This record gives sequence, C-alpha cells and structure tokens, in this order.
Amino acid sequence: MEIILKNKYSREFISEERKGYLFVLPALIFMLAFVGYPIIYNFILSFRDVNVTTFSNPIKPFVGLKNYIDVFQDPTMMISIKNTLVFTLGSISIQFVIGLGLALLFNLKFKLSEPIRGLMVVSYLIPMTVTALLFKFMYSTSGGIINEVLMQCHLISEPIGWIIDSKTSMFSVILTNSWVGIPFNMLLLTTGLSNISDTLYEAGKVDGANVFQRFFKITLPSLRPAILSVLVLGFIYTFKVFDLVFVMTNGGPVNSTELMSSFAYKLSFTQFSFSKGATVANVLFAILFCVSLGYLKLIKEDEVIG
Amino acid sequence: MKKTKTLLTCLTAVVMTASIFVGCGSSNTNTSKAKTDASAKTALTVWHYFDGQQQQKAMENLADKFNKSQDKIEVEVEFVPRAELTKQFTIGLVADKLPDLGLVDNPDMASFAAMGLFADISDKMNSYEGKDQFYPGPISSCKLDGKYYGIPLGSNDLALFYNKDMFSAAGVEPPTTYAELKTTAKKLTKGDTYGLAISAPKNEEGTFQYLPWLLSSGAKFNEIGSPAGISSLQYLTDLIKDGSMSKEVINWTQNDLEKQFVTNKAAMITDGPWIIDTIKKDAPNLKWGVVKIPKDKVFASDLGGENWGVIKGHHEDAAWEFIKFTQQKDIMNEYCADFGYIPSRKDIAESNDKITKDPIMSVFLDELQYAMPRGPHAKWPEISDAMSTAMQESFTNAKTPEQAAKDAQVKIDTVLK
Repeated sequence: MEIILKNKYSREFISEERKGYLFVLPALIFMLAFVGYPIIYNFILSFRDVNVTTFSNPIKPFVGLKNYIDVFQDPTMMISIKNTLVFTLGSISIQFVIGLGLALLFNLKFKLSEPIRGLMVVSYLIPMTVTALLFKFMYSTSGGIINEVLMQCHLISEPIGWIIDSKTSMFSVILTNSWVGIPFNMLLLTTGLSNISDTLYEAGKVDGANVFQRFFKITLPSLRPAILSVLVLGFIYTFKVFDLVFVMTNGGPVNSTELMSSFAYKLSFTQFSFSKGATVANVLFAILFCVSLGYLKLIKEDEVIG
Repeated sequence: MKKTKTLLTCLTAVVMTASIFVGCGSSNTNTSKAKTDASAKTALTVWHYFDGQQQQKAMENLADKFNKSQDKIEVEVEFVPRAELTKQFTIGLVADKLPDLGLVDNPDMASFAAMGLFADISDKMNSYEGKDQFYPGPISSCKLDGKYYGIPLGSNDLALFYNKDMFSAAGVEPPTTYAELKTTAKKLTKGDTYGLAISAPKNEEGTFQYLPWLLSSGAKFNEIGSPAGISSLQYLTDLIKDGSMSKEVINWTQNDLEKQFVTNKAAMITDGPWIIDTIKKDAPNLKWGVVKIPKDKVFASDLGGENWGVIKGHHEDAAWEFIKFTQQKDIMNEYCADFGYIPSRKDIAESNDKITKDPIMSVFLDELQYAMPRGPHAKWPEISDAMSTAMQESFTNAKTPEQAAKDAQVKIDTVLK
C-alpha cells in the first residue's frame, strides 16, 4: 500500500494529472461563468428580499431564511412539490415500461424495424411547445380528437374535460410528457440491449432457461447501467419540465398541475416576487442536485464492478 | 486528492442540474440605445403585445403617420408576446435591453413603475394641456404615489352581451338586477345552451371578469372576505350549481366566450368592446345587443386598456413627443376604432358620434363611468392571484365560497399590510 501511494504521488504522476486539468480548464471556466454565476446569483437572491417594491433600491436587505419559511408556509408550494413528484414518477414509470417494451420489440430485428424505430423518435424531436399545443387541441372538449373517438365508439356519453377537470388534468399532462419521453427511453435501452452478447442467451438456452428466466436473469441484470441512466436522467429531465405545463394548463385548474418549475416562474414573472421565485428554484435545484450526486455515486460503483 | 474528487463530482452534478436556470436567459439582442439612424434621426423603439391583426396594423399605422409628420424621430414598432414582454421588462431592467416606450396592461403599470422601469413624467404631464381631459379611472391607473408614470392608450370595460333571438323566444327582457339575471339565465338554459357565460381562468383575465361582480356587491377590491364580497362569490357559484353557467368557465378566455356566444351555446356573456368586430364577422346574422352588467347594490365594471410607459433613461423626450402625437383627436379616434377601444379622454370620446350614437358603444361608454381601475397597487398581481384562485376554488367546489373568499382575504391582507 505504501509503495503504491508513493508511486501515485510521484512527480511525474502529478504533472500528468496537472496536464489533464489544464485541458479541462477552458470548459471549467466557461461552466463557472455561464452555469455557476446564475446559480450563485439565484442563491443570494433567495436570501434577500427582492420584490416589486425593493427592486429599484440600490441595497437589497438580507432577510435570512424568511423567503424559505414564507414559501414553505404557502400551501401552493406543498401542492407543487407533491404534483412534481407525481408528475415525475408517473411519467418515468409509463415511459420506462413502454420504452423498454419497444426497445425489446425492435431488438427482434424484423423487417422494417429500423425505419419504424426511426419514426418513433419523431415525438422526441418535436419542440415541447408544439407537442403541448397539439395535445391541448386533442384533449379539447369541443372537437378534440380523443373525445370524438371515444364518443364515436360509445365508450363515453359526454366529452371528458381532460385538461380542464382538476381530477384528470394531471393524468393528461403525464400522458403527454410520457409520449415525449418514450423514444428517449427506447433509444438508451436499445443501445444497452445491443451490448448484451448473444452467447449469454445461447448459454442460457443450453441450460434450459425459458423466455422469462432469460429476461429476468440475463437481460435485466445486463441492462442495469442503461436502466440506471435512463431512470436518473429521466428523473432530472422530468422534474424540471416547465414548457409543457406552462402551455397546456398553466398550472391549473385550481393548481392541480402546478409544478415547482411553473410555480417558480409564476412567482418571479407574474407576481414579481423574485426572491420567492428564486427560493422555489433553489429547492428544486437542491433536490435534483442530490439525485445527481446519487447517480454519480452509483455509476462509480458500477464502474468498479465492471 | 479526495477533496478534488468530491469537488469534481459536485461540479458534474451541478452542471447536470443547472439547466433549470439557463432557460431564463435573454435572447433579445435589440437594444434601443444602440440604434441611431445614419441621418441623425432619433430611433424610437416601441414594444406592444397586441396579437390581433387589426391591432398590429393600427400600431404600425400610428408609427407611419408620426414618422411622416416630422423628420426628427423615427418610430419603430415591435411586437413582443405578452408573457415575453413582461419577462423582458424585468430582465431588461437588469441587463438594460429595453425599448424607449412600452405599452402595458393598466393593472401592471404600478408594479413596473415601482420597479423603476418607467420614467416619472409628472413634470411633462403638469404642463400638458390635455391632462384634465382623461377619465378618472384610466388616468389614476397611470399614477403611483401621486406621480405620473404613463398616459392611457385607450380604455375598455365589460358589459353584458345578450342574444336577442333567444330572449324573445323565451319572452324575457335583458336583466338589470342580480335577481333578474338569475331567473333569466335559468329560463334561457336549454339543451347545450347555458344562460350565462363568464371567463374565470386563474390569472389576471379571471380577476378582470370577477371584479364587476365583487364591486357591484358594494365591496371594494380589497374586501373579498367581507360579507358583501362573499355574497358575490356565492352568487356566481350558485349560477353554476343551478346549471345556468357551465363548469368549464374556469378554463375559458374572453375569446372563448365569444365562440360560445356566436355558436348559441351561451345566451349572455360578459365581454368587452374589442370583441364586437369578431362577433360581427363570425355571426353576421346573429341578433344581439349589449346592456350594462346587472347590479346587486351598485352598477360596476372594471377598467381595461393599456397605458404608454416611457422607459427611464432612454429617449424620454422623443417618446413624449410621440405620445402627444397620439393624443390628437382624429388620430386617437382612428386607432381606438381599430382596437375596439374607447378613447380615454372625455373631450375625444364624448364628441365622437360613432361612440355616443352607437347603440352598443354607447353602453360601453356609459359603463366607463363606473369602471374602477384595478389597484393601482405595486403588488396588484398578488392581489389578483388571490381573487382568481378564490373564484376557481369556489367554482370547482374545492372550497365553499365563504372559505375561498376568506382565504383570499388573508392573502390580500398580507400583501396590503
């Protein structure tokens, strides 16, 4: 152990490592300026009292944790945290299950599997605002295609207020977000699947494993790193979704689809309570930061195992 | 070494997460200060958020006329979508990427003035001969703490549109009181036709639509939790419970109301004069009229319309010249007609036969004397949010009207204290 340490910290090793840092430096400076600055600014903002009346004052008073206390006492904050969790977990589970199913399907490499898989990605490429508007029209109670089809099939007698009823609005928004997320899941999982060696399956077959056993004992364990990436990245992307909800429901009806992101926007740019908006954004950031840290830790463990 | 690793891990995590903040960046590169015409003309950038074709044309028309009338200032009109405009105004304050002149919805004026966006034009106003010609509502929406920060572009208010054919078929007269409205609405509700439709989304538009009912009950804008305030919310909620008003009102915009009206799905709607041309175009054969919104204790409406705001520290004098140009009788009458607005000045509105003698516009003009400005208060957006939330909570049965109103009152009191 002693010897290894000595080697590691020998002069050559350190200078090698320093060279490495030098290469990373430009990117690091860029990141600090364009990513670090807003974060720090936002952090400071959340401890000051900046709203309409204090905005133009040269000195903005520090108020300690007051903004955090105020925000957490606001019932909308609790609703938005709950909604964000429901939205994220709901979206991830739907898009993961369907994404995995599709990845397995296209992994069968039948005729046309390639072009169809290519087409599937379209929904991921459409700008979020366009998707949101599209679904808004499709969910409409007067002439929306979803209600029309359901009524023609006599499944419902009167149109369902998909996004105007506070009971169904969250579900409808989750469904839309899943539609966008499915190709992302599918692509990452397909890559994972193609990395599994066929010899494993052959060996499994020889040992008499049936389809389910092969899936649970070979496919899933081998996919672990891909699944991990998909779930964590999916979590991060979904947790901060803003445009979709902003366009489709703007958080309504009655806060039923208010997410932390849309709530932060509303506080900052509709009510001009910049500090409170920053506070909500920071809470959102803190949660995602922890998730990211966890993800990196898991990846590291995986690499060690690998 | 361990520390560096931890630091790097943290950095990576930060980068992964950080895009939540990046979306707020400004993409607008247009700074009015940087633009100066080669011919030594002062370039004046004007921002507005009117998305209607006719309104956009009216704005450009206004700029054209002004540019031709003199050779010192060149006005350029730019359309910025409303949500973007609000955002750009606040971001612009920090980054100084602002126009010279902006149009804002009148209840937002106080907030922006308090944030230091607009120049104090009290001196200019006090020496301006047209100063006393404005209706009290519109001009008070331009003031904050006794100082002038803007001047009205034009005004509008809400009144009750009614379908004449449905009224004669049901044998009823346009209602003038709450009690009459309730029975009339009930009588007119048949099949997929609702007696009344209002617009109650959870935003400023919802508050704008709710205020006439609140004010009519005798309560002031900050008294939703008073017995009178509660009764107004109770009244509207009862209309929904009676089936005379659709539950969907919580998602309808004022433009949606027009669609409900012309497709005979609503016999009465509360809407503003800007919608008149659209109704005429969508349903040329529809017979309809306009009356004042029925009253509980007093007649009430609330004031809509935009104000010009001169951006502080830019070409303030040139902007003022342009504003003065728009205040001339013929010019104001012309663009107000295009906008479907009423001129905010007594001398101009009341000498315009197209308004005073028109059976529809005259109602809106009459209603303007009852039209209260929203606020003005720097924190109006928060007050407004409390009210539109209360309306949604009550309409969807999430809370009783009393509870919703009282909860809103608590929020409003915190803002006002």
